[in-house]
Amino acid sequence: VKLAGRIPVEPLDDERITHIERRVVAGAVDAAIAGRGLRPARRVVARALVVAAIGAAGFAGWMLRGAPDARPAVSEPAAIRVHTDSERSRLELGDATIESDPATAFTVTRPDGGVLVALSRGRLELEVGKRAGRPPLIVRAGDTDVVVIGTHFTVDYGDGTDGADGRGGVDVRVQEGVVRVVHRQQETLVAAGEQWRTGRGLIAAADRDAPPPSAADRASSRSAGDGTVASGGAVATGGTIASGARPVPVAPAPEVLRDRRATAPDATTLAPPPGVKASPPARSAGGEAMRARAPAGPGNPQGDLRAAIRAQRVEPALDLGGPDATRAITSYYEIAAHRSGDEASQAFYSIAVVNHLKLGRDSDALRSLDAYVRRFPGGKEYRAALWLRVRILCLGKIDDRCRAAAYTYLHEAPDGPAAHVAERLTLSD
Amino acid sequence: VTAALYVEDVLLVDRCLTGEPAATRELFRRHRNRVHASLFRVLGSNRDMDDLLQEAFLQVFQSLRGWRAEAGLATWIDRVAVRCAYRHLSRRARRVSTDPLDDDAAVALASPGEAPGARRQLARDGVVRLYAVLDELSPAARLAFTLHELDGRSIADTAELVGSSVTATKLRVWRARKRIEAAAAADPVLREFLEPAGGDVIQLDDREAL
Repeated sequence: VKLAGRIPVEPLDDERITHIERRVVAGAVDAAIAGRGLRPARRVVARALVVAAIGAAGFAGWMLRGAPDARPAVSEPAAIRVHTDSERSRLELGDATIESDPATAFTVTRPDGGVLVALSRGRLELEVGKRAGRPPLIVRAGDTDVVVIGTHFTVDYGDGTDGADGRGGVDVRVQEGVVRVVHRQQETLVAAGEQWRTGRGLIAAADRDAPPPSAADRASSRSAGDGTVASGGAVATGGTIASGARPVPVAPAPEVLRDRRATAPDATTLAPPPGVKASPPARSAGGEAMRARAPAGPGNPQGDLRAAIRAQRVEPALDLGGPDATRAITSYYEIAAHRSGDEASQAFYSIAVVNHLKLGRDSDALRSLDAYVRRFPGGKEYRAALWLRVRILCLGKIDDRCRAAAYTYLHEAPDGPAAHVAERLTLSD
Repeated sequence: VTAALYVEDVLLVDRCLTGEPAATRELFRRHRNRVHASLFRVLGSNRDMDDLLQEAFLQVFQSLRGWRAEAGLATWIDRVAVRCAYRHLSRRARRVSTDPLDDDAAVALASPGEAPGARRQLARDGVVRLYAVLDELSPAARLAFTLHELDGRSIADTAELVGSSVTATKLRVWRARKRIEAAAAADPVLREFLEPAGGDVIQLDDREAL
């Protein structure tokens, strides 16, 4: 006897259904919030682990590098020599980033556990993390040392001459934090918004927005002689602070500064053959990677990151022979729903690509990507889909959501083509 | 599953995952009748339905992140609901006591051919006695039998819902049938429900409460 359909279903009355619905919706919303709450916590823990791992690797590198001459062949890291002709370059040294203008030459060494950047000519922009308890990072331009504790600043050494003949000289501008400029045994603290120039000393914040001096400016200011107050600001010379700036106590210079034989090689002897922009990355004894990358984007870090994101290739959508974007999406939906395997996954990914790149519908693209990631965790376009999520989220705003997406990409594709950009995004502030 | 429905499901789930109440409500309304009908056929009444339906849907929403869209959303929700039903039956098996059956039904059998109302009452009594027999089965066997025989699902679908192999599911259904046939041999009301005299099956509609 067939029983199917012979058991009548007694419907629930509206009041009971409404009551159940209300409780289910409340519980579902709570569950969604709890689910969302877990993810940031996981992300924070994961991020902390990444930072701790990087820190541990860096610390181990420094410790091994500073160890006695047990392994002299590797204990002294090789100098990094950078010589740019027509484009900017970017050099990352763990917690310090050095960007150089075109026609700049400098060398990086590690005397006594510190970092010495010997600038032969040109202009550098540095961003240095706080170096609490560690030897300082020093930029040496001729007879001027800029000692860094943790800051963001630029050093312009012009054509590499010392300014004695009225030309050239060093120009230091600080964007964040504070640096100590040591020039002919005199020390000057230069704080954020301030500027220091050879022969003119400290220039107060009022002059901060003035354009950088040209060679002619330098010549004219030099011809006026040291100690002359330039129009629009107070000037300090030879470590003497003029009115409007604070007096600076002169502290004993660190060992690395007193040792003028520090391993800052002469740039002319170190410059690589013509056509070579920068030396290959060097690796310290502790395994700390030093990478020279070129070219970099605009000066501000977020703009730079966005430029790096845009520079990464996006895997193209499935080619359907040229229907317009909206019709293509409809076709992709059909493929995704009725086929399986590679075809379905590619169609799903393609929906996101077309929505993002052709129609500018980022929220639709993100929804498709989320669905893709859930449905095809090992799909052929999985990494590309994760990167597309990063691209969509991070081109809008570099926030926690962007960093979480970048971390996911980095975790799933540590050797992926965009891993270095994802790493920078994950660790960005 | 049509492409449009499939994509709708995927997008609706994404909205639910953001905690959007309207999406949650929509998903509940789309699937509640089907889930309720299946659960009703498994349990045979609405007595514990409020709690069970709520538990099933809460379980659905708590696990929604785990739906990988490999199965249709409806199938996945049914699977979650069946699991809840299994837990419920397992709990209930320890405290169930079948209500004594009404002898009036047996009396009604003695005079066949009266008014249709009496025959419908007889059919309802047959359903009650069928569920009395099902109460004696194990939860797994009851689920297999009710989903296949009463809810009209194929053996393969039933096996997938209960998480067993097709062979095990077939065996459970067969044993349940044997048990019911044995009970029907001793119970004329149940026998009449299962094999009505003259083959005239009385269809009860959904509005007729058991």
